[in-house]
Amino acid sequence: MVSKGSRVGIIPVLFFGPHLLLFLVFFLLPAFSGILVAFTRWNLFSSPVWIGLDNFREIFFNTESTFYMQFWNGMSNTFRFVIMTVPPSLILPLLLAAFLRSRPPGFSFFNAVFYVPTLFSISTVMLTWINMFHRRLGPINVGLNLDINWFGTQPYTWIALVVITVWWVIGGNFIIYSASMADIPVELYEAADMDGANGIVKFFAITLPSMKHPILFTTVTSTIAQFNLYGQPLMFSRGGPGQSTYSMMMYIRELAWGSGASIAGIAAAMAVTLGFFIMLVSFAQLWLMWGPRTKEIGV
Amino acid sequence: MKNALDFQRYVRRLQRDPHQALAVAGLVLLASIWLIPIAWIVISSFKPEVEIQTLGFRIFPVNWTFQNYYNVLIRDTAAVPVVRWFWNSVFIASSTTALTLFVGSLAAYAYSRMQWRGRNVIFWFLIATMMFPPVINMIPLYKIVDELNWIDTAWAMVVPASAGVFNLFLIRQFMIGIPRDYDESAKMDGASDWKIFANIIVPLSKPVLTLVGLFAFTGSWNDFLWPTIVFNRRQNLPLTAGLQLLQGIYDIRIAHIMASTVVAIIPTLLLFLMAQKYFLSGISISSGVKG
Repeated sequence: MVSKGSRVGIIPVLFFGPHLLLFLVFFLLPAFSGILVAFTRWNLFSSPVWIGLDNFREIFFNTESTFYMQFWNGMSNTFRFVIMTVPPSLILPLLLAAFLRSRPPGFSFFNAVFYVPTLFSISTVMLTWINMFHRRLGPINVGLNLDINWFGTQPYTWIALVVITVWWVIGGNFIIYSASMADIPVELYEAADMDGANGIVKFFAITLPSMKHPILFTTVTSTIAQFNLYGQPLMFSRGGPGQSTYSMMMYIRELAWGSGASIAGIAAAMAVTLGFFIMLVSFAQLWLMWGPRTKEIGV
Repeated sequence: MKNALDFQRYVRRLQRDPHQALAVAGLVLLASIWLIPIAWIVISSFKPEVEIQTLGFRIFPVNWTFQNYYNVLIRDTAAVPVVRWFWNSVFIASSTTALTLFVGSLAAYAYSRMQWRGRNVIFWFLIATMMFPPVINMIPLYKIVDELNWIDTAWAMVVPASAGVFNLFLIRQFMIGIPRDYDESAKMDGASDWKIFANIIVPLSKPVLTLVGLFAFTGSWNDFLWPTIVFNRRQNLPLTAGLQLLQGIYDIRIAHIMASTVVAIIPTLLLFLMAQKYFLSGISISSGVKG
């Protein structure tokens, strides 16, 4: 065996093999199976029974079925959450980063203040905020002189979930925007100053156009993240009031691993549908960002 | 802002520009509001439970106490094993990091600096799968983990986590950028691939390996849903998942919940302080900010 860059030898296999093996067993195999399970009736223990499109027919069309209600409720709640949360989680950090572009005194402080919450895990975030919204003892009701039952009344529950989520996530986008704004040549701004442009003009004419890539990237990653909504409504109000904040992911989890027999087939059908929408968003990113530029990634 | 003179100049600038001054004031206000939840739980964790129940809303405790921390850390460890959960997380996250770095760097080396048939095809296939949403994998993955008898063990979290492609991608991209001269001269001296990998490439890859290590560690640490699926016994849960149970256990004992939360937050913040430089630069690299 030649030792110099083996072309057919076993040595490369020893290098890429371990990861590939893990990938095949713990990613690819479940990925294929996850789609197949959606076409079966299965309780996770006995043998799955192939039933074709029945699960999909049931959750999409069968108005008599509980699963139909759960599917449509879960999907609409999740979509609603994405629409409510993603725009503020993109716009707010953009404005903040633009304002702090000149790196005024205390910039590191602001940086840290907005970024620290992103380091909290979802459960610590929720535990932190649940008491903030306590009806009698929470700073929000007391501080704003309100008597709202945030956990049991809409639209307050949605508002609370959006506020909590935005507080939690904008730090990440803020850092990204700050970093890319730092790359915009200062001369552009100086030239604009000499022409007498004010902050707003400079933002729309210089800053924003230079931020296409980071904005696209964060839009996609934020959207995908919020499609996986699970922890916030679970810990805040158990998907309540009623089931008005019950997310798709929560239903999937309940059906597959909740109390009673597992209804893995239906759960898988729901997962495949949810996954389909997530993939649409990913495809959009792939094409818009890398499509015309595969050369740069070192193929 | 390096010194007092700069600061004075800045204040004078603000005095001349009221719009700017207003915006700065707004920003300071926003930042203060941002900190309130954290400040609130820290302060509240020192309030005696009795006080909260009987005195109604107060900002500061009347009698500061460590009783809640004592209960959480020592007295209630059977019902609320926060410390045990913490160490579970440390073990699981560290093992995940070690395994991810090991298989990831080996594979990245193969995809970036070795020539073999099918290399590019396989690599780009892996990249394509990065888009695949993990939600679909969950149910069969559970079954696989179950068949392997890994339920209720750390393996159920550690091994699947290292099968991902994102971290591999980052390391591979970095390794592509290392100049070939190192390999060439080492090969001419008759060094084996393993020697080149271990003695040259890995040390040179420290920046990306640190970054990937942080991603792997925090990703594992913050995992919320999966641990609740694969762990049965309360004692075995990692911290993030275990905290879900606090509301059910401590119920209206708010101060105890606060204290437990603070206990959970501290290690994360320490990690942040230690790794600030790597965290902040790392996010720019992976998001493709340069366009």
